[in-house]
Amino acid sequence: MSRIGLSDSMVSISAQPAVIALVGRCLWFLLVTLALTLPGQAQDWIRTGTGLGVEKVRLAVPDFKPGTSDPKNTDLLQEFNSVLWNDLDNAGIFDMVSKSFYPLDVPGAPPEVHFEAWNVLPPNASMLVFGNLAAAGANVTVQGWLFDVKNVSSPQVLGKQYQDAATKDAVRVIAHKFADEIIFRLGGGIPGIAESRIYFVSDRSGHKELWGMDYDGSNQRQITHLGSISISPRVSPDGSRLAFSSLEKNGWEIRMYSFDLSRLVTFPAFSGTNLSPSWSPDGTKLAFSSSRGGEPNIYIMDAAGANLRRLTSDKGPDVSPSWNRKTGAQLAFVSGRTGLPQIYTMETDGTNQQRLTDQGYAVSPSWSPNGQFLTFSWFRKYGPGAPGANDIYLMDIASKQWVQLTHDGGRNDFPSWSPDGRHIVFQSSRTGSEQIWMMLADGSKAQQLTFGGRNTQPNWSWK
Amino acid sequence: MAAGTEIFFEHSHLGRPLAWSVALHVGFACFVVLWAVILPGSRGSDWGAGGGGDAIGVSLVSTVPLPASQTPTPNVLANESKGLSKSEPKIEEKEPEAIPIPDTDTKNKKKPALSASKKPAPQPEPESNEVPFGQGGPVSGPYGTFSAAGAKGGFGFTGGGGDFGTRYAWYVQVVQRKVSENWLKYEVDPRIAQANRVYITFAITRDGRPTSVEVEQSSGVPSLDNSAVRAIQRIDTFGPLPPDYPGNKVAVEFWFDYKR
Repeated sequence: MSRIGLSDSMVSISAQPAVIALVGRCLWFLLVTLALTLPGQAQDWIRTGTGLGVEKVRLAVPDFKPGTSDPKNTDLLQEFNSVLWNDLDNAGIFDMVSKSFYPLDVPGAPPEVHFEAWNVLPPNASMLVFGNLAAAGANVTVQGWLFDVKNVSSPQVLGKQYQDAATKDAVRVIAHKFADEIIFRLGGGIPGIAESRIYFVSDRSGHKELWGMDYDGSNQRQITHLGSISISPRVSPDGSRLAFSSLEKNGWEIRMYSFDLSRLVTFPAFSGTNLSPSWSPDGTKLAFSSSRGGEPNIYIMDAAGANLRRLTSDKGPDVSPSWNRKTGAQLAFVSGRTGLPQIYTMETDGTNQQRLTDQGYAVSPSWSPNGQFLTFSWFRKYGPGAPGANDIYLMDIASKQWVQLTHDGGRNDFPSWSPDGRHIVFQSSRTGSEQIWMMLADGSKAQQLTFGGRNTQPNWSWK
Repeated sequence: MAAGTEIFFEHSHLGRPLAWSVALHVGFACFVVLWAVILPGSRGSDWGAGGGGDAIGVSLVSTVPLPASQTPTPNVLANESKGLSKSEPKIEEKEPEAIPIPDTDTKNKKKPALSASKKPAPQPEPESNEVPFGQGGPVSGPYGTFSAAGAKGGFGFTGGGGDFGTRYAWYVQVVQRKVSENWLKYEVDPRIAQANRVYITFAITRDGRPTSVEVEQSSGVPSLDNSAVRAIQRIDTFGPLPPDYPGNKVAVEFWFDYKR
């Protein structure tokens, strides 16, 4: 009994600190809950655009008709029609009306257009692209029109005529030009990308060499034949030269290839490991990373290789510079000064170095043409056994808000912006081997561009 | 013996901690459920630029020059007011004891008001002193509107060369789309839920650049006015004016309705 009494009093005496401890634990639970459920960084998928509800242009693109009875027309038309459709579809600004909704009689010239067939359901188009292709001997003439079918009184927006040799390549170029013209008119003054090129690294010849292709993956051609390892191609803003880094006998050096001369041009060699050149938007300077002073740091030099200047100091490796294409006054780069690589920006004199990413493993920044966004490859939860892998992210530099663009597995790396700021090309291993992929800048419509060998490090041309 | 076994018999020590534990667990579960159920609205609005419906648009990519996909727009004609073109005399329909003929008269009074609103002249100067501030549905004619998941915007075109909007409706739509893409609603003070309309006027030069951007009629919310002005200033070009348009520039009046 006395033991019970003792134990009772033990309970009552120790109850008060126990109660306090329990209340404290309760508060701690509440705090943890609040911290976990408060909204953090705005991370989300973008499948749609800005949510402002403005309609996309509903564009109908029936097949062009043959203008003459030349038998070459059939092949040329097939090429032209498919290239034109793909260019307009890839532009990302049109709502393409499916061909199964088109009326049976398709116009080939303005008098043949029946507006009432196009501007109501089922096609319900707001714009119509039509025309004809006429091969005559060795030449082909293409006439194309862009009509606003909702405006019957004055429908014509564009009327163009092109003439070239009657070959598939020439007809492909005409289709690209016409598509670019339509995109320029209806897309608010931003030129289309149908004639732009993508440069990348491919090992399908046995060595890692530089290759170039059209933006849609056609015309893939080898550029360098060095027999060594050549990586990080960066084309100049005027498209005349390609800077890259190549493994020479003394280490990694920056090399320059001239498209005008179709060969390498001399470029000074620096000591150490020199990698990832990046052009300034006026084409006069190159930024790159060099370990000639010990640790890799960012350097700037003229496009001819003179006036070398160091920008970053020795604390941690600084690599992968990317120039601000709008102002030419800032650089984004990757720095390992805190341990894992993170993205930083700085002015072109090396001052005002700001950190943009807060965790994980972030590499390969690419600055958007309008100067507002960075896209880069990020592995947010980096570490042994961590879920996920490298994905492409888009970050607004002013507000540091970011959005994840790729989710579908594989390692996604080396993003590069298109000149219209609407597309991103990147490398992805989601099919098992590294290949080049292209997607819209909101993460949708990803399509594979290369299929053979291993293809990496794409770089989009400036126009 | 009985006393000895009581030392190890800790039955009484478990009662109170067990009760506390159960109470805390239940309380925590209720808290989580309440947090999830009662407060989704506030969380939803933090995600992006007040996106409505299925468009979880993160505001930061508003300036990626991709158009948004279509979201269902609210019926802009649901507003009862007739538009700013002509202020309506107050129609007092309190004549129930009169002959039904006066009702048809009021209907006729409404029709001329609507057709008068089709004038392409600049509309922000109504004839009477009374300005139906903040109201105003879409005006027909060379004017356009767009809806923005609750926020609306629209504009009118004036300029030499006649009726720009009917001849070049496609260019008008390009302008409409581009301004809506570049309007960052997160620049507006987040405490504002709804605001009056702000009118911005600017001119588009021959090469498509917007110039002389001015606030013509303020909404009363400075951050909204600034965000509207910046939306237009952010734009480099709308694309060159149509080549067969004779004028040198086009004046545009653009209105923004903000609703979070």
